[in-house]
Amino acid sequence: MRARVVVTGLGVVSPIGIGISDFWKAALAGQSGISAISSFDPFPIEGYRSKVAGQVRDFAVERFIDSVHGERVDRYAQFGLVAAKEALADSGLRMAKENPHRIGVIVGAGMGGMVMGEREITQLYQQQKPHRVHPNFIPVITLNSASGIIAMAYGAKGPNLTISTACSSSAHALGQALHCIREGRADVVIAVGADASITPLVFAGFCSLRALSSKYNDNPEKASRPFDRLRDGFVMGEGAGALILESAAHAKKRKARVYAEIAGYAATSEAYHMVIPREDGLEVANTMKLALTDAGLTPAQVDYINAHATSTTIGDAVEVKAIRQLFKSRADKITISATKSLIGHTLGAAGAIGGIASVLALYTGKIHPTANYDDPDPACALAGLSRSAQERRVKVALLNAFGFGSNNAAVVFKQATAEGRRSKG
Amino acid sequence: MATDPTISLKIRTALAEYLKRDPDRILVTQDLREDLGLDSMAVIELLYRIEEAFDLQIPDQDLVGLTTVGHVVIYVEKRLGKLTPVAPIKKSATPLKAAKQSKPSKPKSKTKS
Repeated sequence: MRARVVVTGLGVVSPIGIGISDFWKAALAGQSGISAISSFDPFPIEGYRSKVAGQVRDFAVERFIDSVHGERVDRYAQFGLVAAKEALADSGLRMAKENPHRIGVIVGAGMGGMVMGEREITQLYQQQKPHRVHPNFIPVITLNSASGIIAMAYGAKGPNLTISTACSSSAHALGQALHCIREGRADVVIAVGADASITPLVFAGFCSLRALSSKYNDNPEKASRPFDRLRDGFVMGEGAGALILESAAHAKKRKARVYAEIAGYAATSEAYHMVIPREDGLEVANTMKLALTDAGLTPAQVDYINAHATSTTIGDAVEVKAIRQLFKSRADKITISATKSLIGHTLGAAGAIGGIASVLALYTGKIHPTANYDDPDPACALAGLSRSAQERRVKVALLNAFGFGSNNAAVVFKQATAEGRRSKG
Repeated sequence: MATDPTISLKIRTALAEYLKRDPDRILVTQDLREDLGLDSMAVIELLYRIEEAFDLQIPDQDLVGLTTVGHVVIYVEKRLGKLTPVAPIKKSATPLKAAKQSKPSKPKSKTKS
């Protein structure tokens, strides 16, 4: 019999706030974290088609964590570390009292250590001095740097994994953490999503893909507008989200406060195209259905969807098509919000931060607005979308995340028992 | 408008290389997606090569109108200032009179029924 798994801690670093309290307050107010990119020193921003992004402002890791050697920990891993620290404190878990081999870390990251990575690559190719490549280059850019660093920071000796499937990375991190605990391989998993790659080359790469919004460079807060008729591409973001996943039995034993239960997960591939989703939405619909089946639930029971909703012309329409296919007449009765409308697309962090919004919807009964949903595209109009915050008793929430490489993920959360919600460790 | 044969050939050659076909089989009337089977990513890749070949940048908002090979040719020519207008038709001093409608002649039957 597989263990039930619950969420007992949350932590976040985002363009609309560092820390869950600031993040959630800003999210419910529909605040936008999208702003003009100040500079890609030494590259001038003028050369870029898109000039806006969801940037985490005024972040200095030493304000949050002592003794982090900046040159050993790239920006994305710093975000992950800070989010994990908050989530662990929030959970009340005391690592000294735990068996460290039963505590795992699973990180979802799309691009990884690109800040140092691009700098070192550029320097080598310009100066052609191989001996001047920084000794930390490899440890920093290896994609498991964040999961290693977080495990080291907290003495977590259980399963340690990094999942990189582009935009669905941390939805899969949540799902694999769920499997890990269900199968008895860990009692607790620190599940994190992190990315910080608003860097000259990566940003240029997304511009060259013609995937980014470029019509709202003079009005950044309007740029990320999922499901709106005038959307013109996604807005890059950066940040991290951390969720402490724990077996329900372990949480009950230590009288932990439980935010929600993580009940189901599906991982699929469309086997179609590296960057274009199947227009018929069938595979997306199938992925959502598989996750609900894994949770022992039906489409009729879903109250809220945290949509993938990147603000691309095709992607948003495909997701709505899939929602209509699966939920049929109920599609317009489900409350929906698009977190990327507020913070942009945080790539590897998107699943985790969307998961946090889903968990908070279940826990508080509040759903954050979808910013800039001013003029609904008829192909994407769903009655459950709103520019304002909504209130609803959410018993089942579905998180969608679809990545480049034809990769799809869906995670199902459900409301915790009343006893779990009240407990405080 | 008359198009520059050099630019047209360069663009058709770029397409031919991408599609592994003979440039003579690439026609300006062909639709990039419907006739040549390019998906949206392939169109972006093609335009990237064209930007490189002609040293120009194509803004996102200009992509919408580039649906046929001919559209791409004309666009590049306009951007390079190479589009040559055809000489305008001169206005005559007297207005043209409508041609007289003549009755169609009966076809001569070849065989007697």
